[in-house]
Amino acid sequence: MIDVQLFFYFGIVLAIVGSLATAWGPGVKDPIVRTFNTEVASIGVCLVLLSYNHVLALLTLVATTVVITLILFRAIIRLEEMGADV
Amino acid sequence: MVLIPAYVPSEFISMYLTAIYAGLIVGFIGSMAIAMRREEIHILILTDLIGLAMIFVVSAVGTDLAEALILPGLVVELAETLAISEILISREMHKIDANPRANLNKSTSLFPQPFALDMEIMTTAPNFIALVLIAYGIFLTGFTGGAVAGGGIVLYALSKKARGLPVLVIDGLAGVSGIAWCLWIIGFALFFVSPSLWLLSLFLAACGLLLKVASKVGLIGLLMREDIDKE
Repeated sequence: MIDVQLFFYFGIVLAIVGSLATAWGPGVKDPIVRTFNTEVASIGVCLVLLSYNHVLALLTLVATTVVITLILFRAIIRLEEMGADV
Repeated sequence: MVLIPAYVPSEFISMYLTAIYAGLIVGFIGSMAIAMRREEIHILILTDLIGLAMIFVVSAVGTDLAEALILPGLVVELAETLAISEILISREMHKIDANPRANLNKSTSLFPQPFALDMEIMTTAPNFIALVLIAYGIFLTGFTGGAVAGGGIVLYALSKKARGLPVLVIDGLAGVSGIAWCLWIIGFALFFVSPSLWLLSLFLAACGLLLKVASKVGLIGLLMREDIDKE
């Protein structure tokens, strides 16, 4: 029998580690690496929402994470193309 | 004295403090990192972490109220990210306009190679698939239906070749958005004025939300088309 609390605490640990990696992790001078690191934290939040039975919120989080990643990539690439210091 | 409704499961009550502390830690890490960075695009990415902390604190409630609060929070965060990224891009364009000799190499884009979708299925199928997706989205109504119908609009927008966004389309989308807000507000007010009409007001709000989400997702698809259909 798998405990629900296991998912909950694993999700919390994943979210905290992911946010630490986003803030001060290796290679975060590159904004694309930083964007990928936020995915780790958002997977942790997904596990927490799963353990709370919030299905609709989980689906919306997945959908908005995909769209936000696309928007951020577009902004990063446009800014690099125009020669801004990113 | 803390008031806890009787229908909240005891496991969720025992997880409450842990979730709140986790949210505070994640939010603190995000704010410290924002305070230490200079570049705006890094700050925009780190704002995501603050959004995740918000989700932690809201989801710790553990009832349907949490689900109802997370949805608008995420959608507002999405719109905010879109708006701020557009502002950053246009500000950089103004800097280039002020000093045209600085640097202009028009080589990179979201798809560096010319990304021409010359598949036969992209010209014949999208009409039918987009129609089915939009019809199914209208049948579903609400947020999910809006996402499905918006997916249909994105598919149609990506597969058709026309470049540039006509002014008429932007005006039309803004008008649809206004009608959606009116439906939503009428439904909300009707729910309090005469609660016996709850079914009507529920469907008014659901149809308003459908129009709203579908037009937003379609607009994002039209923005993406500018990048993809590059010759």
